[in-house]
Formats: sequence, structure tokens, C-alpha cells
Amino acid sequence: MAVVSSASGLIAMLHEPHPALKLHALDKLNSLVHLFWPEISTSVPTIESLYEDEEFDQRQLAALVVSKVFYYLGELNDSLSYALGAGPLFDVSEDTDYAHTLLAKALDEYASLRSKAAKSSEEESKMDPRLEAIVERMLDKCILDGKYQQAMGMAIECRRLDKLEEAITHSDNVHGALSYCITLSHSFVNHREYRCEVLRLLVKIYQRLPSPDYLSICQCLMFLNEPDTVATILEKLLSGSKDDALLAFQIAFDLVENEHQAFLLNLISRLAGSKSQAIDHVNPDQGSSAPTSENGNATADNAVAASEDVHMTEESHTANGTSQDINQTDATYNERLGKIKGILSGETSIQLTLQFLYSHNRSDLLILKTIKQSVEMRNSVCHSATICANAIMHAGTTVDTFLRENLEWLSRATNWAKFSATAGLGVIHGGHLQQGRSLMAPYLPQTGAVGGGSPYSEGGALYALGLIHANHGEGIKQFLRESLRNTNAEVIQHGACLGLGLAALGTADEVIFEDVKNVLYTDSAVAGEAAGISMGLLMVGTASEKASEMLAYAHDTQHEKIIRGLALGIALTVYGREEEADTLIEQMTRDQDPIIRYGGMYALALGYRGTSNNKAIHQLLHFAVSDVSDDVRRTAVLALGFVLYSEPEQTPRIVSLLSESYNPHVRYGAALAVGISCAGTGLSDAISLLEPLTSDVVDFVRQGALIAMAMVMIQTNESCDSRVGTFRRQLEKIILDKHEDTMSKMGAILASGILDAGGRNVTIKLLSKTKHDKITAVVGLAVFSQFWYWYPLLYFISLAFSPTAFIGLNYDLKVPKFEFLSNAKPSLFEYPRPTAPPTSTSAIKMPTAVLSTAAKAKSRAKKDAEHKAASEKPSSDDTSSGSTSGKTSKSSEKDTDAMQVDSASEKKVEPEPSYEVLTNPARVVPAQEKYIRFLEESRYVPVKLAPAGFVLLKDLQPTEVEVLTLSDAPTTLPTTAGGGAATATTGQQGSGSSAMAVDEEPQPPQPFEYSG
Amino acid sequence: MDPKLVEVTQLFERFKAAFVRNDFGACTNLLSQLKVLLTKFPSLPPSYQETPNAVQELAIARDIYEHAVVLSVKTEDQDAFERDFFQLKPFYTDTCGIIPSSPQEYPILGLNLLRLLVQNRIAEFHTELELLPQSSLENPCIKHAVELEQSFMEGAYNRVLSARQTVPHDTYVYFLDLLAKTVRDEIAGCSEKAYDYLSINDAKKILMFSTDQELSEYITEEHPEWEIKNGCVFFQKAKESQPCKEIPALQLINQTLSYARELERII
Repeated sequence: MAVVSSASGLIAMLHEPHPALKLHALDKLNSLVHLFWPEISTSVPTIESLYEDEEFDQRQLAALVVSKVFYYLGELNDSLSYALGAGPLFDVSEDTDYAHTLLAKALDEYASLRSKAAKSSEEESKMDPRLEAIVERMLDKCILDGKYQQAMGMAIECRRLDKLEEAITHSDNVHGALSYCITLSHSFVNHREYRCEVLRLLVKIYQRLPSPDYLSICQCLMFLNEPDTVATILEKLLSGSKDDALLAFQIAFDLVENEHQAFLLNLISRLAGSKSQAIDHVNPDQGSSAPTSENGNATADNAVAASEDVHMTEESHTANGTSQDINQTDATYNERLGKIKGILSGETSIQLTLQFLYSHNRSDLLILKTIKQSVEMRNSVCHSATICANAIMHAGTTVDTFLRENLEWLSRATNWAKFSATAGLGVIHGGHLQQGRSLMAPYLPQTGAVGGGSPYSEGGALYALGLIHANHGEGIKQFLRESLRNTNAEVIQHGACLGLGLAALGTADEVIFEDVKNVLYTDSAVAGEAAGISMGLLMVGTASEKASEMLAYAHDTQHEKIIRGLALGIALTVYGREEEADTLIEQMTRDQDPIIRYGGMYALALGYRGTSNNKAIHQLLHFAVSDVSDDVRRTAVLALGFVLYSEPEQTPRIVSLLSESYNPHVRYGAALAVGISCAGTGLSDAISLLEPLTSDVVDFVRQGALIAMAMVMIQTNESCDSRVGTFRRQLEKIILDKHEDTMSKMGAILASGILDAGGRNVTIKLLSKTKHDKITAVVGLAVFSQFWYWYPLLYFISLAFSPTAFIGLNYDLKVPKFEFLSNAKPSLFEYPRPTAPPTSTSAIKMPTAVLSTAAKAKSRAKKDAEHKAASEKPSSDDTSSGSTSGKTSKSSEKDTDAMQVDSASEKKVEPEPSYEVLTNPARVVPAQEKYIRFLEESRYVPVKLAPAGFVLLKDLQPTEVEVLTLSDAPTTLPTTAGGGAATATTGQQGSGSSAMAVDEEPQPPQPFEYSG
Repeated sequence: MDPKLVEVTQLFERFKAAFVRNDFGACTNLLSQLKVLLTKFPSLPPSYQETPNAVQELAIARDIYEHAVVLSVKTEDQDAFERDFFQLKPFYTDTCGIIPSSPQEYPILGLNLLRLLVQNRIAEFHTELELLPQSSLENPCIKHAVELEQSFMEGAYNRVLSARQTVPHDTYVYFLDLLAKTVRDEIAGCSEKAYDYLSINDAKKILMFSTDQELSEYITEEHPEWEIKNGCVFFQKAKESQPCKEIPALQLINQTLSYARELERII
């Protein structure tokens, strides 16, 4: 068999005068080009001239050959332009490197041209139709071959929404395709406006489907900020069957999770407005309930009032009963409307969260005791850090035992420390919407009566109210506004401003804005700082004109504090606006004043939050190494954490070099950046990066690293990562060490607070389950990171907490008894073991240091442990009698065993099961989510297969009596025995505590007051 | 027999008849048709499909191209020669296993070498030579070309010119005529460098012209920069135009020395 050794013959043939010979030569060359391109490359000009010869009828073939030669020569641009000349001869389906490379090149080219065209708004002015044709052929081919994901990706990249639509509608799994598209548009579409376009298209497609996925539609619509459409959908669902209503509730819960207050308020008002004729006479009530809540002890929020009103009217309707049928449907509709309003206002979820956190509270008072004893009395920094740690540990649980037991110690907090201490109460009672006012009443400024309290506690109380009502401030706004108006004391103004900002987060309420602005213009440093932040909080994400006004004032004023507050405020206004924020960012980052540049860093961080936008990262890294001010550099690095939180795996890699910087500020920033973006992930890389920083030579770097580490490790226990245990011991050592610097000691105290935050039932989450950003959480962390300048802002971290819970709800929004499986060893995700009463470590240390107090402390600690055990015992007895399962009592015994601490009992336990049955409501930590399975034979079926959060359950046996947990319904206990559906294997872990919540609402704690 | 092959064979017979008649116009015409017909044969390079008629097809195709080469020599068309030769070459290099080698092979290879020599493409000449097997160097046709090249390089132009008498093949005459011109160009180039001026008689002798007329025509055509005056041919113009660049030796030496010193200091 002969082998071709050279193409010279063919090349020579190209020079033949007869066109048929040229054609033959070209044809053969085309098939041999991959072997003989070096030979052919010398005669490329000949072939090119053939291509340019108008009379030659196979110009396209010539172009193809030239294109291939150029491809082999590495001249992709030339190659592409000739491939375009080849027209249909360029085969997109060809499975060769040449075709693949050129297609990729063509797509890149096309995509960049398209996005350029979109930017300059001259639509496709210079678009090469041949290029377009190739891309279209490619897309069509992908769709034909069933490679829908590729087609969708390319269509999005090339901004061809028509093709995207085609790809989705042709795909065999339209729902899958749509959800894939949503992920795509969030993670890969950098341009905000374009993303909106994509989402709008997706919604359009969704709506055309026979069985629309309303959950996803509403998520998209929320991003697009179209409350009207959502309202229509919800209305439709509400007037449908019971299942539809369940779906509507689920949608509402999902929307609430994204914490977009302005959107939710809008939605509620639209829902109420559209069916106004049905509930016409309710609306005035609803309107008037706001004013009634002004007077001192109005406890109910207006939304609840409204929903109750709905109930009442519904009853009256049925009583009248003129046309029974219509009224019946109206009544159910109204009832459902009431419920959904409750959900949308956040009421329901907050209430349930509160109950969950209260009932599952596992905070370890012993840790606090140790801290308290080791901290020097006169060291106010550590003192208030301890109070703060307590607040964080009990955030949202309403458990203030520690404070009650240590009133005298607490009273050492004076002035601003007192302000903080009072604010801490707000964190502990966070979400206690109904009784928030009455709880804080003793500290609030008394109208009329001559104020007995100090301005510090009054200001703190207003701030606390804000924290309680954070992002759900409809009921409290009015009161805070009045308090702000009625005072001239700057400390109270400070508290009121922060409180207002929190309560009316993102509502862009003009009236409140004016009030706060007036405070700002008094030019008082203390009040002005809070006012600046507050204005930002009010205007979060609105990108309003107000920002330039604020910037102008920041240039006018002399007070650094005010400038700093305003800078942060301005940054908050551009939250999530991406490119729209660029002008403002540019303006701020070029400012002469380092504080404004510092605000610019925050603007970058918040404007591009969670986008991992390359441009933003680039800019931040630039400032991190080039700015002259340490503050700006620190913040620039820290801001990286915000930009990258959607891809936490990236952050340690990006900041790893910075974490070894010579500049301690940069190191500090790197630590916090990792802490913020990897919060709650327990990411191994992040921990490895932070570990050396926790023993840095500079005290504040240690502080930052400890706090960041706690943020990363929150809700991770020792059996998941052994370094968690090491870290806990390190914290204890730092706290007990007499010679440790105050700064790092404070860091350690706060870190132990964050590590066990919210009774060990919350984590820090910046993304909701649908991968949308949680505004409140991000804003909370952003303001929290300001604690460098102002300790009271520490409490903002509580905004970022979200419960690690699965809470299943039935149609009545009650928590029914429901079991599901966690397909992993229970020990992986269980609560950290409570610390031992001082036996080993502290028992050895203490006697040498102090004598009498130690003994006293010891006895007190012991008493406390006993007390705790006692409080646990009766409750677990309740459970065992309630659920009649032998194993529960056994497990509760084990719990108390563990409390008494003997590690020997551990060894006796039989080999650990590989799964665990959890009972609704259950603690499900983020790492556990992937192991959650729902049992098939269960009575309830979740509407949405979500492993955590609020999930509506469909009752498959609606005729039977439901067994409720977490409710005050007295009927539950007797029926459990008869119900019998419960299997013998009750959860080992959750059951003991879930029954603690036999009463729905935690008892309002007795008011107490400390004087100082 | 395959109808296409029959058609080609018949056409080729006509071509050969015309070729013998020295009717070159008809030949070129027929050749063009033949080439087009040949593209239809799948067994030809570069496809080499193994069809039943492969051997006949390859043989006839080779024959046609060999004739084409000879024809191009006869029509004195160097471009056509090059084209046809390259198309013929694969038959020599790649088909040895399929068809017996042709008696025309070495004469044609030799012709090609000669052509390269005439066109003064010495590099390609040697490339071609290297590609030939050692044994073929003994072939008179190749040997002739190689010897010519050697003489040409040595400057033994008289031997080159006398080689015309010892051609191994009558087609070689055309190229050897051309070679004479190449030699003249070489001589002209050399004398330009060697002399400031030459008398017309000497120049005539060196450049192998029989009359003054021919000489002056040659000068106006090829070397318009030369000048004829006082019965002499002056080459100065050309010399002037070639600026003799003095090597800036002193400067370079100084520079190099200073670099060396600096380097020493750094180390």
C-alpha cells in the first residue's frame, strides 16, 4: 500500500490552468491538510488568491483549506475569518480538534461582540452575519442532539434569548432545564440587567407550562421585584384546592427567607388590595391598628391584628349565611389570606423560630461562668465582651438566666458599656415581636414622667428594640420615631437611629429618612455616626439619589465619626446594584479622605456581594496592596469576603498570600474575609488558613482570627473536624491566661459566644436555600465588621444568624408530629458535649490562684449544673410519658449521664447506628442537609423536598386526628397513645428537648432591672 | 475494461500521435483533457485506493505525466515543467511497490536537476539530490547533472559549456542552452567585482559574444548601470553604488573592553 509522502504534487496542480484540476487539488488538499500543513503553508497565498477569485466557483473550499492551515499555524483569528468565508462547508458537527477549537473561538467572538453591542446599545451594528450563522447552526445542532445544557449555556453567553427559549422548550425535562438556567443566570451572568432579562424569559416559559413550578417562578419574580405577578399567583393558588394553598404557604415561606422587606410589604399590600371588596371592612381596622400600637403596652403587631380580624369577619360572614356557598369559599379564602399575610409579614416564621430556639436551647452556661470568673473586674473591654458573648450565645432563645443570676456583676457596666448591655437584651429576645416592647419597657425612655434611667440604658433599649424587630419593624417604627423626636440626648438619639434603621431596613421610608437626617444635621459626633449608618440601612439597595446628598455632607462635616457612619451608609445604599454602583464607587475610591475611600471598599463589597465578580476582586486586591491608609487596606481585604461568599472555596486561595502580609491590618482583613465568606461552612482550607493567624504576634490580628475561626466553625462539632475541639481548648486557654493581651482576650470571649450562638442552634448564613442573598444577614455582617471602631455594633451579627432547623408545618401552620431520616452517624452532627464542671483543668488551676472565690464559684457552678439537669429531667419525663417509647427515656438518661460527665459511660454505648430518625421540628445543621431522607410510608409528604427550613407538609390522612408538637393544644397528649403511628425508634437526640416546648410560647420572663 | 480507462487510453494514443507529429498545440489541448480525466481515477495519488484497475491506471497516468514533462521541455515552458514534474513525482516516490519503475525515471529526474541548476536554485538542487538513492548517482543522466553542478561551482565555465556536446538525452539540449545564459550572468557578476573596466574586445570574449551589437544589447537589458565609453565597458557605477562599509573596529574593541571591565567589577 502506498503512503502519501508529500503534497507538492497537489500544490503544483493548483497552478494548473484548468479549473477542474484546481478543484480536484483543493479537494484532496482539504483531506490531507492535517498531515501536510507545513508544506501547504508556503503556498497559502496561492489558495488565498483562489478564494479571492470571483470566478472560481469553489471559493468556499479554498477558504476552508486556508482556514485549516491557519489553524495549524496557530493563527486562530485568521483561521476563523476564513472559516466564516467557508460558509456551509465549515461543519459544526465535525469531531475534530480543528472544528472544536474554531467553534469555541467563534462562540467567544460572538459572545463578546454581542455583549459589546448590548453595552453600546447600537444593536448588532457590526455583527458579521456569517458569524451569527455559524453560532446559530451550532446552537440548533446542540438542540437537535439533545445537548440542551450546552445549548442553554451558549445561548446565555451569547445573549440569544430566543435560542435559549427554544432550547428550554425543546428539552425533555423542562423543569430541570429551567432550574439549571436559574443557577446559570445567578452564577455566570455578571451583568445585572441582562440577568433580569434572562429571568423574565424564564418566568415567561414557566407560565406557559401545563404545571408551572410556582416556587421557582416566585423566586425569579422576587429577584425581578415584581410583587404584582407574585400576588396574582398567590391569589390564584389561595382560591384553589387545599394543596394549592399549601403550595402558596410554601412560596410565602421561601420568599420570607430572602428577607427582602420592601418587596414583602409591597406584596402584602397588593394581596390585601386586590380582594378589597371581600374584606373591605377589615382594611380600616388594619390601618388603625398601627396608631393603637403607639400606646405603651400594645402587644400585638398589626399584621396579626389584621389576621385576627379576618378570622372574625369570616365568622360573621358564615353566621349571616345568606348565600352559604359563596360565603364558604370566601371564608376559606379569607382564612388562607390571613395565614399567608402572617407568613409574609415574617410573623409566623419568626414565631416558630423563636419556639424552636427556645425549646432546643442547648447553650452552655458553664462556659460563660468560666469566662466571667477569669475576666478581671476592672477590665471593661472584657467585661462588655462577656456580656456580648452571652447575648450571642442566647440570641433569639429568650433565655436570660445568666444575666438574672449575675445582676450585681452586670451592674459594673457603665456608660456605653451599659448601652451595649441593654442592647444585648435585644439580641437575646430577638424576634420576640409581641412582647418586645413590654420586655424592654423598664429601660425605655418614659414619656411624661421624668426619666429615672440613664440615657445610656434608654438608648441601648431603643437599639435593642431595633434588634428585636430587625427587618420586621412595621409595629415598632412609629414608637422609635417618636422616641427619636422627643429626645435631645445624643446617646438616646444614637440608639434610636440604629433601632430605626434596623426596624425599617430597606423600606426607603421617606418620613423616617427625614427624621434621621435631622439628627445628622445637628452635627453631633455620636448621634451623627448612628444616623449615617441608619440612613444607609433605610435605603439598603435602593441606589437612590440620597447617596450623593450623604456624600456631600460627609465632605462638609469635621467629625470623623460622622464621616465614617455616612461612608458605611452610602455603601449600604448601593447594596447589590453591581454595575449601577460603579460611578459612586469610583467617586468614593478616588476621594482624598481615607475614610471615604474606606466607605468605597464597603460599597464595592456590598454592591458586588456574592457575585465573585472579577472586576471587583481585581479592584479590591489593588487597593489592598496599594492604598496608603491601613484602614482602607484592611477593609479592602475584608471586602473580598463579601464579594466571594457565594463561592467560599475560593476565598482561602485568594487571600492566602495576603494573610502572610507584613502589614497586620492586611492580615486582620484576610482573617475576617475568610470568616465572612466561609461562615458556617467549616471549610477545611479556611480553618488551615486561620490557624496560624490565631497565634499571630499582633494582638488584634489574633482577635480577628479567633472571631473568624468561630464564624467558620459555628455548628461544626468535634467529630466532624477535630480542630474544632482544639480551637475550643485554645479559646479557654486564652481566656484563662492572665498575661494575654486584652484585645485577643476579647476576641476569644466573643469567639466562644459566636461558636455557641443561639443556643447552639443557629448558623451564619448569607445565602438562602435558593441561592439568593439574604439582605439582612449580609448587611448585618457588614455593620458588624465595624466593631473595630465601635463595640456596640457587635450586636449586628445577630442579624446573620439563621436557625439550623427543619420545621414541618401542616395546613394550619402548626407543627405536626413527623419523622424523617438523617442518613449519617448521629455523632457527626450532635451538639457539642456540655463542658465539664471544673474538674480537670480548672480544678488544678483555680486553687493556686484564688481560694475563697474559687470555692464559691465551684459550688455555684455545681449548683447550676444540678439546676440545669433538674430542669431537663422533668421535661424528658414528660416526653417519655407522652410518646410512650422506652428508648426516649433511655436517651434522656444518657443525656443526664453526659451532664454528670463520665467518659466511661461513652464506652458502654453499643456501636453507633449509621442513621438517625429525627422528629419535627429538628435541628439539621448545614453539613447534615445532604443526608436527610424523607420516609416513604410517612403520613405527611413535604410540598417541597427541602432538607431544612420551613417546609409545608401535605397530610395524606386528613381524616385522622393530627398529633402536634410545639403547640399548646392540649389534645395532643392523650391522642398520641392511640395514634400509634409513631414507630418505636424515636430520635435519640431531638426528642428529649422537643417536648420541652409543650407550651407554645415561652413564658415572658419577669422584668428585671439592674441599676448602675 | 473500465470505460474511463478506455477513454483515457484512446485519448492518450491521439496525444502520442500529435506528439510524434510535433503538433504541440494539439498536444497541450489533449493533455489538459487527459489530466481532468485522470482526476476521476481513485487509485491515483494521493488517494491510492486499491481498485482492480489500479496498476493500469497508475501506469498510464505516469506515462501521461512523463509525456507532459517532455512536452513542456519541448514547448520551452519552465512553469509547466515544474507543475508536471511535481505531479509526476509521487509516482516515482510512492508507487514503487505497485508498478514497475519507468525507464524514463532517471532522464526526467536529471532534467529536473538541470532545471534547478539553470534557475540557479542550488539549495533545491541539493535537496533533490539527497533524496535520490546512492545507486542512482551512477546513472549517466544524474551523473551528468551532478558533474555540471560541480563545474559550475568551481567556476570551470568552459567545461559547463562543452558539456553540451555530451548530453545523455536530446531533451537536455534546451536546458543546456539556457545554462549558457546562466553562466554568462555569473561571469558578468564576477567581472563587475574584479575589474574597474574592460575593453570591449575583452568583454566580448569573456562574455562570449561574437559581435559588439550583441554585447551592447546585453548590457542595456541586463546591466543598465554599466557604461560604454572610449571603447571600454566601465563598471564603476556599480562599484560606487556598492558602498564599502568600513568596519568600526576601533569603536567595537573599545566597547567590548569596557564591557569586560564592567563585568569584572560587578563580579
